[in-house]
Amino acid sequence: MELVEAYAQAFFEVARAERRVEAVENDLFRFSRAFDANDELRMALSDRTVPAERRVAVIEELMGGTSLPTSVGLVAMVVGADRAGDLPAIVDRFLELSAASRQREVAEVRSAVPLDDRTRERLARALSDAVGKQVEVKVVVDPTVLGGVVARVGDIVIDGTIRHRLEELKERIAS
Amino acid sequence: MRIRLLIASVVIALVGLVAAPSVAQAKPAGEAEEECIKLLEEGKKIDDCQKAPNPLVPGGNEIVWGGAAFVILFFVLWKFGLPPVRNMMKRREDRIREDLERAERARTEAESEREQYQRQLAEARNEASRVLEEARQSADEVKRQIRAQAEAEAAEIRSRAQEDARLAAERAGVDLQSRVADLSIELAERIVERNLDRDTQLALVEQYIEQVGSGGNGSR
Repeated sequence: MELVEAYAQAFFEVARAERRVEAVENDLFRFSRAFDANDELRMALSDRTVPAERRVAVIEELMGGTSLPTSVGLVAMVVGADRAGDLPAIVDRFLELSAASRQREVAEVRSAVPLDDRTRERLARALSDAVGKQVEVKVVVDPTVLGGVVARVGDIVIDGTIRHRLEELKERIAS
Repeated sequence: MRIRLLIASVVIALVGLVAAPSVAQAKPAGEAEEECIKLLEEGKKIDDCQKAPNPLVPGGNEIVWGGAAFVILFFVLWKFGLPPVRNMMKRREDRIREDLERAERARTEAESEREQYQRQLAEARNEASRVLEEARQSADEVKRQIRAQAEAEAAEIRSRAQEDARLAAERAGVDLQSRVADLSIELAERIVERNLDRDTQLALVEQYIEQVGSGGNGSR
């Protein structure tokens, strides 16, 4: 955990020095969720038998067109140090540090469809009212939720997805 | 002892030899003839002069000599013959008594041994009976235990089999229910996927925002 904390602090300091904290947050959050959801990508970047240069090249190929060079460099640093497995935890902690610097918390929201800015703002306000803290919404488009939204703020999970309702229905049928 | 018996025999023989001639000289031949002639002259018959002696009554000198010989013989025998005989009889009596006592002791010992043997035999029989009875009781107990154990095991096996059957049925029911649930949810997912267009998706998001904002629904 100390290592995760150290990397997250380093990410935050670099992003703040570059004055691109929010953009870096978005890049890293997007890549982190893709990394989490894709087994092949996770295995490829975690495989120590593959040379570090090759893994870094893959990252540059994936993020180069859509992300800031700073974001690419931070991810490449973690993967090059053979810490790809810790990347999601490092990014989550980085997001927490960033949000905390703004006296806010990160709300990870999963939705089956992309949300526009207005919807995000309304969702952020609603979640802030619900948890009693100012939150920043990070949206992950996840078709597996089928419909609706699930939000996680720290240890609090507010699940309003079709997937969750079907799971509840399934439990009732099975019992 | 034998010497004494020999001396006594010699004495008896001498007495016999001395006494016998005396009996023969009871009456001289001349005197008998003169007396016979005298009787014939007196007119008596010849049978009167040769009167036959009574065979049952001995002559006077014969009685004397015979009595003396008897007394002497009796004395000698009393003095020398009787003690050895008495001693012999005494020894014989002692020997017989000892033999009898020994025989009695032997008989007593034999009787005692017989009683002891019979007692031991009875004890052995009792012991054998006791051992037999114990063995029988032990066998009965073992038989009873084996039977009880077998019955308990059979009951346990039956109970276990029933429990297994119940659990298997329960598991099958649960599996079936789970399978039904899986299939139902899978079917529901497909239906939902087909019917959830973008407008509906956005409507669900709006509904979520309203519920969360009002502190309402949503699983926490």
